[in-house]
Amino acid sequence: MKKNFAANLVLIVTGIFIFFPLYAATEFSLRNGAEHTHGFAAYRWIFAQSGFIENLGITLRVTSLAVVLNLLIMVPTVTWLHLSGQRYKRLVEILTILPLIFPVVALATGAQLAMPDFMQNSVYELSFFYVVIAMPYTYRALDIGLSGHPLSTITNAARNLGASWLKTLSSVVIPTIRPSILAALFLMVALSLGEFTLAQLLHWSTFPVWVTNVSQQNVIGATALAIGSLFFAWILLFGFSFLGSKNSTTVQEEE
Amino acid sequence: MSKDSLTVKGLSRQFGSVLALDNFNINVAKGELVALLGPSGCGKTTALRIIAGLEKSNTGSVTLNGKVITDEAAHTRNMGMVFQAYSLFPHLSVAENVAFGLKMRKVAKKKRDKKVGSILELVGLGNHHKRFAHQLSGGQQQRVALARALVIEPEVLLLDEPLSALDAQVRTNLREEIRRLQLSLGTTTLFVTHDQEEAMAISDRVGVMSNGRLEQIDTPDVLYNTPATAFVANFVGVMNHIPGVRSGKSVSIFGDSYKVRNLDGGDGHVVALIRPEQLDVEEAKKHGNARVVTRSFLGASSRIICELTDGTIVQSLKPSSESGGLHPGEMVNLSINTKEVLIANA
Repeated sequence: MKKNFAANLVLIVTGIFIFFPLYAATEFSLRNGAEHTHGFAAYRWIFAQSGFIENLGITLRVTSLAVVLNLLIMVPTVTWLHLSGQRYKRLVEILTILPLIFPVVALATGAQLAMPDFMQNSVYELSFFYVVIAMPYTYRALDIGLSGHPLSTITNAARNLGASWLKTLSSVVIPTIRPSILAALFLMVALSLGEFTLAQLLHWSTFPVWVTNVSQQNVIGATALAIGSLFFAWILLFGFSFLGSKNSTTVQEEE
Repeated sequence: MSKDSLTVKGLSRQFGSVLALDNFNINVAKGELVALLGPSGCGKTTALRIIAGLEKSNTGSVTLNGKVITDEAAHTRNMGMVFQAYSLFPHLSVAENVAFGLKMRKVAKKKRDKKVGSILELVGLGNHHKRFAHQLSGGQQQRVALARALVIEPEVLLLDEPLSALDAQVRTNLREEIRRLQLSLGTTTLFVTHDQEEAMAISDRVGVMSNGRLEQIDTPDVLYNTPATAFVANFVGVMNHIPGVRSGKSVSIFGDSYKVRNLDGGDGHVVALIRPEQLDVEEAKKHGNARVVTRSFLGASSRIICELTDGTIVQSLKPSSESGGLHPGEMVNLSINTKEVLIANA
């Protein structure tokens, strides 16, 4: 009884801690200026600002490229590390932590110079930087996913049954670690959608840069933008969770 | 049995400074089940993996039905394999797992479904098509793995300790089932195990491996009754080590002389390798050469554990009807009921 009470208390306090600020911000974003009424004026204001669609479009395209690049690089790499590159695992773990150690400004002013000219002149250079910044998270998400399966045995089984390496990767490894890939994907998307510093330092106008600029004009609009972005991220999270649990739902139906 | 289906010649494999496989040779006839038996680290799994194409050898060749496949990729060899660890693809149902190899071979869906249905019936999982790996017991998972390996009609079936993760009862049942399927389908099979009972029970021939080499390959009867080396004698079945003195081609044990079967080594103190059923126990009228420690009733036979005068513990297997009078603490006379014995260094 005491245990239940304590558990419920913790749940209630945590709930208040998380949801009260959200509630307050949502309520604030729904205020109609100085009038004491509520409505969607601030949300309408967001869509009325010039550059909303353009900047969101840029960010989504940069994010999409970053996601594709990330998966193309990280999935085969982490798979290889698990199958035959165990001795390099420690080294790769250290390398993937480096983006957390070096400040983003170092990437913006230093690493950019290593890019070919045509990339330096394209907003898509941000995709490559986002891949680097997200590496500590995506590597670990994939690593945990692969550690949970006897990867060597199932890849050997697939090869033995007639699957080439490419087929083994696409038909066995990727579907097996789908939840981890989706987690990596979500982290990548969340990071790319919210990244401000690099884009600002490299003078690219992306959605987070646009949000920062327009927020300075309207405090209620800025709050509405924050709430809108949060819900967008939540929708994405639920979407990925649904895709990730598709297999386990089918399993439960069979029981 | 007809001509050889699988021929392996002079395989060697070195991992760093460790020679895992040393000039390994084996022939498996069409439709034959051969077991590779040996302790952990003796190279049996390495041999199997090289045959499957999952590992490269440093030297040697693998020939399958007359075609040299040493350099062929694993996925083009048409060999079925069941692994020690559970290897079902977790995202696929039982039927999809079994159909995987057929899909890779681009077998039409209708034919594929028919084959999957038949093979699952054959392994006793006809009503488990839609289940996933985590909904199956260990034994069921290995049956599915077996069905998956057999449905592609492999030229050779490779079994890498497929029963070692299962409990005793399931193990016994499944090994009989593997043999039944292998005989009914006539699949050439190479079976790796460290369990001698398993190997002896279902194999046409058993190859005993040690330190990367094949020590002896023969029928279970020959291996047990006339082992070629001391290692095989010790590894297969229970073996007593009885002190004796060798002089030339004979060895003296309990005052009697026996012919030495393995003539390598020199004269002097040796140990004779004697099976429990080759050791007779009689009640001593005066002074015996051993003392009964325990007598265990096993049904038709009894195991009598004795201690020799020098403290060596040996065991004898006698019909229970003849050993009822032997009691712990009694002095007995031990003798050997064979003319030829294997010896090893003392």
